[in-house]
Amino acid sequence: VSCSMAGEEDFFLEEKRFKQYCEDFVKHSQQIGDGWEWRTSKDLGDGYLSKTHFQVRHRHIPPDLKEKNNDNTEPTLFAHVEEPLDDSQAAGVGSTEEVVRYEYHVLYSSSYQVPVLYFRACFLDGRPLTLDEIWGSVHASYQAHLQEGPWDTITQQEHPILGQPFFVLHPCRTNEFISAVLGGSQKHHRHTNYIILWLSTVGPVVGLNLPLSYAKLAPEQSTDTD
Amino acid sequence: MTDDKDVLRDVWFGRIPTCFTLYQDEITEREAEPYYLLLPRISYLTLVTDKVKKHFQKVMRQDEVSEIWFEYEGTPLKWHYPIGLLFDLHASNTALPWSITVHFKNFPEKDLLHCHSKDVIEAHFMACIKEADALKHKSQVINEMQKKDHKQLWMGLQNDKFEQFWAINRKLMEYPPEDNGFRYIPFRIYQATTERPFIQKLFRPIASGGQLHTLGDLLKDVCPSAITPEDGEQKTQVMIHGIEPMLETPIQWLSEHMSYPDNFLHISIIPRPTD
Repeated sequence: VSCSMAGEEDFFLEEKRFKQYCEDFVKHSQQIGDGWEWRTSKDLGDGYLSKTHFQVRHRHIPPDLKEKNNDNTEPTLFAHVEEPLDDSQAAGVGSTEEVVRYEYHVLYSSSYQVPVLYFRACFLDGRPLTLDEIWGSVHASYQAHLQEGPWDTITQQEHPILGQPFFVLHPCRTNEFISAVLGGSQKHHRHTNYIILWLSTVGPVVGLNLPLSYAKLAPEQSTDTD
Repeated sequence: MTDDKDVLRDVWFGRIPTCFTLYQDEITEREAEPYYLLLPRISYLTLVTDKVKKHFQKVMRQDEVSEIWFEYEGTPLKWHYPIGLLFDLHASNTALPWSITVHFKNFPEKDLLHCHSKDVIEAHFMACIKEADALKHKSQVINEMQKKDHKQLWMGLQNDKFEQFWAINRKLMEYPPEDNGFRYIPFRIYQATTERPFIQKLFRPIASGGQLHTLGDLLKDVCPSAITPEDGEQKTQVMIHGIEPMLETPIQWLSEHMSYPDNFLHISIIPRPTD
């Protein structure tokens, strides 16, 4: 995505509007059982969107993926598929299964006036995944996107509310691509849910997908935040 | 009469005498002597402790050595916070030297960011500077600078070169003549007692009527529990760089003169010592 749009009006997201979009987002998530919730901090009343999901990672392809008894009640968003092994290896129970717990948080940056995606993953014993291990789960085409995308980098940072290490997609160029997508007059897109637009763009890069039904969040259903 | 510029030097050259001791459970081939060092308040632990690492690695087996991390009285020390902030927040009213424990095993993944190389420190430092300029100047000043200017800020910090650093940093401290200050003040307020690591909000240095907001105004707005109640005693201290600035100090002045090299005012709220 090339984002040189000189003269394009910057689309900054005010905090109140951010909270409203999040509220609408959570409502829809609840309707379709997508697992997002809003967490409010006890001390200052600010908050963030949160989603946790579990995913079974396979080290090898099991003999028949469809017949595999998957106890996960959470929908598996994607399964990492590696190079097929030769028959002698694929035939047996050669798969190491690991359950990974993924956590995604959407926070508001008052400095840049944009949402920011924080994420982390750990095995059930608490051992955190490194960024490389998380990358192993991202579909190859998205790995290429990261190089071209308008996100500068992913770094480990301290979560501003929880104080724990998370990985973060750097926000300083979010406005470029959001402005490019929304384009033209802000009035046309006043009711477009910024969060859905933004998350559907950056999420897949880090293994987070939004079901298509979010796109159906019609303008009439969004609260007018004037 | 002290020039304002002298304050910049005093902030830059502040030092904390520190004693580093190896954690007792680390496996050593010989006894490890403590290592003494004057730490720059404005720098970062992993940037200035190469000698500490070398000193302790000399008495350890190579396979017992993994990423170094530091701890004070059981609390892992966040290397991405400036040293002066860590000291003010955790140890300012204790006897010198500051006693820090050095670890090479069992890295606390839930508490500390990894710091595999100096590049990580540089990236963090530059990200802070960029965020500060987003607040002060809508990123206009930092974005107009060339890469070599960015590099000079980092090299100035890394090599403890005041003049080299401020040759560039002074541009980040300017503002249009028609304004009386920055757009918003880059600050973070820390309290060791909260789960939230710091408080950061948008705060304008100039009121709508044109008056300069003070440190007291900032605290009242963002962290009112830190301000003295009308009656009773002030239970907390408000500390920046080891001192308690007067609450009447204009926040614009504090931002220009007492920010850390990352251009943020890092403010500690700590319990006032009772004696």
